[in-house]
Amino acid sequence: MAGGVSSKDADAPYWEGLRSGKLLIQKCEACGNWQWPAVYRCSDCGRWDPPWVETAKKGTLFSWTRTWQNFPGLEPLGLPFISVLVSLDEAGGHRLMGTLAGDDANIAIGKPVTGEIIERTLHGQAMPTIVWRL
Amino acid sequence: MTDWFYKRTAIAGVGRVQYKRGTAPGSQRHTLLKAIEAAAQDAGVDPSDIDGFCSYGDDDNEPVKMMHDLGTKELRWSSAVWGGGGGGICAAVAQAAAAIATGQARVVVVFRALVQGDSGRLSAAVSAHHINWHYLLAGVTTPVSICAMRDRRMIEAKGVAQSAVEALVQADYYHAARNPEAVAYGNSFSVEDYRNSRWIVEPYRLFDCSRENDGAGAVIVTSAEHARDLKKKPVYLLSFAQGAERLGRDLLENDNDYGSAGFETVAPRVFQNANLTPKDIDVAQIYENFSGQGVGAIIGHGFCGYEDAGEFITFENMIAPSGKLPINTHGGNLAQGFIHGMGTLIEAAQQLRGESTNPVAGAKHSLMASGAPAPVVSSMILGNEA
Repeated sequence: MAGGVSSKDADAPYWEGLRSGKLLIQKCEACGNWQWPAVYRCSDCGRWDPPWVETAKKGTLFSWTRTWQNFPGLEPLGLPFISVLVSLDEAGGHRLMGTLAGDDANIAIGKPVTGEIIERTLHGQAMPTIVWRL
Repeated sequence: MTDWFYKRTAIAGVGRVQYKRGTAPGSQRHTLLKAIEAAAQDAGVDPSDIDGFCSYGDDDNEPVKMMHDLGTKELRWSSAVWGGGGGGICAAVAQAAAAIATGQARVVVVFRALVQGDSGRLSAAVSAHHINWHYLLAGVTTPVSICAMRDRRMIEAKGVAQSAVEALVQADYYHAARNPEAVAYGNSFSVEDYRNSRWIVEPYRLFDCSRENDGAGAVIVTSAEHARDLKKKPVYLLSFAQGAERLGRDLLENDNDYGSAGFETVAPRVFQNANLTPKDIDVAQIYENFSGQGVGAIIGHGFCGYEDAGEFITFENMIAPSGKLPINTHGGNLAQGFIHGMGTLIEAAQQLRGESTNPVAGAKHSLMASGAPAPVVSSMILGNEA
């Protein structure tokens, strides 16, 4: 469904970073602003190729949903599962999607979360991703 | 302002064929041709005189492939709106109007067709457009999950009352129950039915979600002058706007105003172009593939704010004939049927022709909002006078 990841894609270093155990996000060296989703050219000042900088896997829950319906291809996640949108504390509040693991009894927008990089196989392809915990 | 353009074109005919998902007797192109022929007959033009074509949402019916069936005398113009979602409906009508106003075409059909065997599930097609590994790994593979997370943010962080969402769903089903062409025709529906329905993707229950149909919709757009010589009462196109905010939409959920339906920069232009305000709107068709996003579109057009949405968006206010803002008077995408929003466009025209099964007496101005929360959304205002 999602196809492969090309080394020419703007977000290729993001995936490479996760594979080496690091969360990398772009930070423009000219204007200092964090950029996400990945860009070829800084959306604030126009500088090309903003470098990738490691940032903490710490964030704030921006939104979330609990899925009860079976969607083809997501069987490895089980049901129900929780998808989250996490605002990264150190990376300008830019938001990453992921799933939530562990105790979800007190889940709410605004709660702090910490992330862990795991490998997940969907559609026969193993990819690195971040699971978040409250 | 731009007097050469606004009010100079009109919807002259509408056509729709609709089936339960997976049950269209013919192919997608066959189904679409039936809808285009119906729209042409409704307008009183010969299908062979259609010289322009426009669609949206990655429709895969290339106009040239329909020329033989339609007997098209000359194809003079064809175009499509970018984006995989339903945000392109009003934008497609705007393109058609621009083509007519600039003399590039004379009779344009705006169309969209979905037949599951040919185009697959709509949700899958939209997903193919937007979903990449960032979404997939988060368990987000269809529009319902994307919209669910947006709705939660809108409801909890912006303080929208859950009752507003329920009222919108209830109004849709109320109108559909009174529309023989609606999938929910004749159904009784109560808030209890809604609250007891199963979870799909929180905060959405079953009745928060639109039903995909097989079918096709077509609308004939021509000059106001030409429309006045045709069979049906012209529905004049008073204003259009499309767009997205800065750093907006389709950016891995990083748009600035994530908890909105995406109309904050579009709606002011659609009112300004027509020199009208929300108070001038008598009836509205609000595209809602999922309930809360329809609420967001009403708020985004300034009919109320986030905090007072619960006071304005009530069942009584949302229903014809006498609500403050009757919406989705055919039943909406939720309860009339879902051919990627074409039913909404057709009702926008039929309401001003006095043909709605839930008529709003004396309605002069009708708003249509398409696509919340698609990456690009569009709106338009229609009128029964130029």
